[in-house]
Amino acid sequence: MPLPPRWRKVWRDLWLHRSRTVLVVVSIAVGVFAVGVVAGTRQILARELEASFASINPASATLQTLAPFGSDLVRSVAAMPAVAEAEGRRTVYVRLETAPGVWTNVQLIAIPDFRAITLDRVLPVTGAWPPPERGVLIERSAIGLVQHAVGDDVVIKTPSGRRKTMRLAGLAFDAYALPYTLDGVAFGYITYDTLAWLGEPRDYNELHLTVAENRHDRDHITDVVEQVRDKVERDGRAIFFMTIPEPGKHPLDSTIQGMLLLLGVMGALALGLSGFLVTNTVAALLAQETWQIGVMKAIGAQRQQIAGMYAGMVAAYGALALVVAVPTGILGTRAFTQLMAGYLNLTVSDARVPPAVLALQVGIALVVPLVAAAVPIVAGTRISVREAIAAYGLGTGRFGTHRLDRWVERVRGLSRPTLLSLRNTFRRKARLTLTLATLTMAGAMFIATFSVNASLTRTLDGMLELWQWDIAAQFSQSYRVERLRNAALSVPGVVAAEGWSYTTARHTSATGGGGSSLLSFSVPLIVFAPPAESRLIKPPLIRGRWLVPQDEQAIVVTTGVLDDQAGLDVGGRLALRIGGRDTTWTVVGVTQGIGPMPFVYANYPYFSALVREAGRAQWLAVVTDRHDPEALGGIAEQLEAELEQAGLRVGLIAEIHQERAEVAAIFEGILALLLVMVGLLAVVGGLGLAGTMSLNVIERTREIGVMRAIGASDLALLRIFVTEGMLIGFLSWALALVVSVPLSIAITRALGGALLGSALKTVFSPVGAAAWLGIVLVVAALASVLPARSATRVSVRSVLAYE
Amino acid sequence: MLYGMAFIRIQDVGKSFETAAGKFFALRDVCLSIEGGEFVAIVGKSGSGKSTLLNLVAGIDRPTQGTVDVGTTAVHRLTENQLAAWRGKNVGVVFQFFQLMPTLTAIENVMLPMDFRGVWPPRERLDRARRLLADVALGDQAAKLPAELSGGEQQRVAIARALANDPPLIVADEPTGNLDSRTADAVFALFTDLVRHGKTIVFVTHDRDLASRASRLITLSDGRIVDDTGGAGRVPVGAGPPAAVPVPSAAAAARVDDGGGPP
Ligand SMILES: Nc1ncnc2c1ncn2[C@@H]1O[C@H](COP(=O)(O)OP(=O)(O)OP(=O)(O)O)[C@@H](O)[C@H]1O
Ligand SMILES: [Mg+2]
Repeated sequence: MPLPPRWRKVWRDLWLHRSRTVLVVVSIAVGVFAVGVVAGTRQILARELEASFASINPASATLQTLAPFGSDLVRSVAAMPAVAEAEGRRTVYVRLETAPGVWTNVQLIAIPDFRAITLDRVLPVTGAWPPPERGVLIERSAIGLVQHAVGDDVVIKTPSGRRKTMRLAGLAFDAYALPYTLDGVAFGYITYDTLAWLGEPRDYNELHLTVAENRHDRDHITDVVEQVRDKVERDGRAIFFMTIPEPGKHPLDSTIQGMLLLLGVMGALALGLSGFLVTNTVAALLAQETWQIGVMKAIGAQRQQIAGMYAGMVAAYGALALVVAVPTGILGTRAFTQLMAGYLNLTVSDARVPPAVLALQVGIALVVPLVAAAVPIVAGTRISVREAIAAYGLGTGRFGTHRLDRWVERVRGLSRPTLLSLRNTFRRKARLTLTLATLTMAGAMFIATFSVNASLTRTLDGMLELWQWDIAAQFSQSYRVERLRNAALSVPGVVAAEGWSYTTARHTSATGGGGSSLLSFSVPLIVFAPPAESRLIKPPLIRGRWLVPQDEQAIVVTTGVLDDQAGLDVGGRLALRIGGRDTTWTVVGVTQGIGPMPFVYANYPYFSALVREAGRAQWLAVVTDRHDPEALGGIAEQLEAELEQAGLRVGLIAEIHQERAEVAAIFEGILALLLVMVGLLAVVGGLGLAGTMSLNVIERTREIGVMRAIGASDLALLRIFVTEGMLIGFLSWALALVVSVPLSIAITRALGGALLGSALKTVFSPVGAAAWLGIVLVVAALASVLPARSATRVSVRSVLAYE
Repeated sequence: MLYGMAFIRIQDVGKSFETAAGKFFALRDVCLSIEGGEFVAIVGKSGSGKSTLLNLVAGIDRPTQGTVDVGTTAVHRLTENQLAAWRGKNVGVVFQFFQLMPTLTAIENVMLPMDFRGVWPPRERLDRARRLLADVALGDQAAKLPAELSGGEQQRVAIARALANDPPLIVADEPTGNLDSRTADAVFALFTDLVRHGKTIVFVTHDRDLASRASRLITLSDGRIVDDTGGAGRVPVGAGPPAAVPVPSAAAAARVDDGGGPP
């Protein structure tokens, strides 16, 4: 059966006003696309993370000890009724030569039996499985760091300083290993035979365990881990590091959720803005078709029938948007999921977009435009036949009645056409408001993104200002400070060196230590004890004071330490268990943390004596005379060689610029995502403005014809409309500037919480504001040039025939 | 049950508008009865209230005072939406500026009222629209858009559209106001023909000559009826050249949707 005439009318109107249809459809599609990508990625990641996590049987907790232990302890822990499984491993830090003379940190994990891993499973990817003797499997996400291919022989330096050549026998996958860009350490897996060959004893320094019951109850896990800890400590092994991951969650879970939430908000915003465009378009459409509505009513159409026609048209916009948004959304979801998966070291085995997400897209593509169009449709179809027929032919949009109009009228000293643009701008107030709102939101997000970037960079710089050293070395045992300093100072380019105490501690009251909102982890507190007068450390103090040389029992903490210690602040007392000893401290200062790890600082002479390590240190901080990355790299190589020469067993070497690059990499990833979303918002904003301008042109066809008749040139017409568009653009910029302030503060707060575990201080970016002014003016000019060109094509004759 | 009662009964009708200068009466104390099958012309100078009166008869507007009954329906009691449904079945409206939907072809314009009111089964609508267009001598122009038709042709399409649901009453506000005199004659001839087949027609015109060819002439001045000549039963005088074949469905012309009809 043929389509009834009223639906033919709807269909032809869609076709007749193709550019308007395309504009609306694209803008709805952008919103639906954004929401679909964010929702799809979220669902796929959740599904895949869960599957990936379940397949490795994650440990409920991991304990690292300072002194090694044997399989009897593993067995007796495994035999505890509350413990289901326990497995021992040995972690060794080695240096791996990536290019002649260039070394990188690798954490080698020795696993007793690769075929019988029960906990924190490492899975084969390519190459040999299990690793052959004298062979290593590298975690797949770190292959870029080691700069060797599978099958290559690689040179490593063992903790005892020996050089060994190993075969890079294959790649493995460890769900817990974050890509090296995030923590700068590559993971490698070896057998115990290889461990022995490297000269390390066949024992354990890491205990992985799962609890027997309530595996998802963190409190219960904490109770069990406390029992295990007591057992291990009774056995004479001090705990160095104790990790209790949030059960069943990926370590970066809260970060992922935070970012997805932020992106989701922006997607919803894009959708909302496209809704505004629908409102504008439908309102204009109904105003234009008022007489048609009147005639249809006169010949017997009831209001709901007419409303149904326009609702049908809007639904068609939504359906057409789906045609665009669903396939691009699927592609976008794939790409975005891959990006996130790379970031999370996750293999996506099934990238199919869940049907629920497709259903969501269908739902919002149909519902959001209808909701947006509801008000103009209800208002536009309410008109009585008499009014509709009487209004026929009259221009719409009144200027002159509003207070704003009188203000605009008072503007003097502008050319007549410019004045006309200015007054035109204010003619359609509802439309202007919605257009401004769209552009303002896009602009505010854009400026806020730059401010967030500036804030993060400032914070990062501030955080890294903490470290005034250029190179630091961490040792697997303590050495006399004089020995360390002498070795370091003999390296050309080294101008200063200090030895610090470095260890871990935990709150006596709690098992984990400081909480962390970045890692869904309980981690211990990291203790640094530099000399109070050290100039190689400059913590960004928030409250209280820094250490002074006469300090004893005085401690400065990062904000993260206070997280789960309700009420603790400057002047409060903190009980810490350090290397098996219970100690009590007074908090004298609070500083901004560096990253999510909770740090505490104590005065070296007191602290080293307290832990019976007077005059000895595990941490060497070095200042160089040159600071460019190449020079630093060279000095670091020489320093490493020199320390080795002196028989000092280096665990890790850190260069400050690498540290910086690692944190910056995280920030950059997030900012790139934000900018993509802001780009989408800008597109929707531009479409909104283009929509408004073309509506203005269509509505004023008669006026344009009259202006033509009285001698307006193409250029004059073009200028009137482009000026109007740019005026709107400029206004939106000014508003965006204002709105971006609270927005920047809110986002930096949220991101600071997710990334660094503390609120950031917001820095406002003039660059962002300036850039947006440029962008919005260009977008506004472009968005009004096309409609304005169609205005110049209006001939006087055609206006006379214009319906 | 309507025997002895006129088809259109307007009693003590007043229509006022709220204006900035206060209440303005466009119609005052109008009483008027029109029998089924009458051919009524309303004349008067500009602003005298012709359109206002016609709108009340057509149910396009409601009186501020008095009652308007058409057939068995108390039009003044209906809501806007009920009025629309009632109009769709009972009144054919013809406008001065034709007012065809610009994006629909001639035949689609004719089908539109059927679509809205669903009086005819969907299968019959196309055939009926074809017949109606043939009746107004536009059978070969069915697929054209309004912009591709002359003014006279557009007005004939509009008349076919007004007849789509076979209403007993046709109202027209200056239907020939935009046409030259020859074309106006042709359109007028269609009206005469419709009356001959039992339709009731009420139209407004400024054309004295056309008005004089109606069966009844009502003159308005300042919102009052000042003259009413002719009246029921008069056969139209001076019907113009026969421009159209008779409307085949004229037998049903007096049908009102509730079964009531003219005496
Ligand atoms: N909505 C309205 N508000 C105020 N006054 C109105 C309105 N509609 C009509 N009028 C006034 O009512 C009077 C009658 O109007 P109407 O349209 O019926 O005149 P008319 O006889 O049809 O005139 P014309 O021959 O010019 O069409 C006029 O004076 C007109 O100004
Ligand atoms: Mg009139």
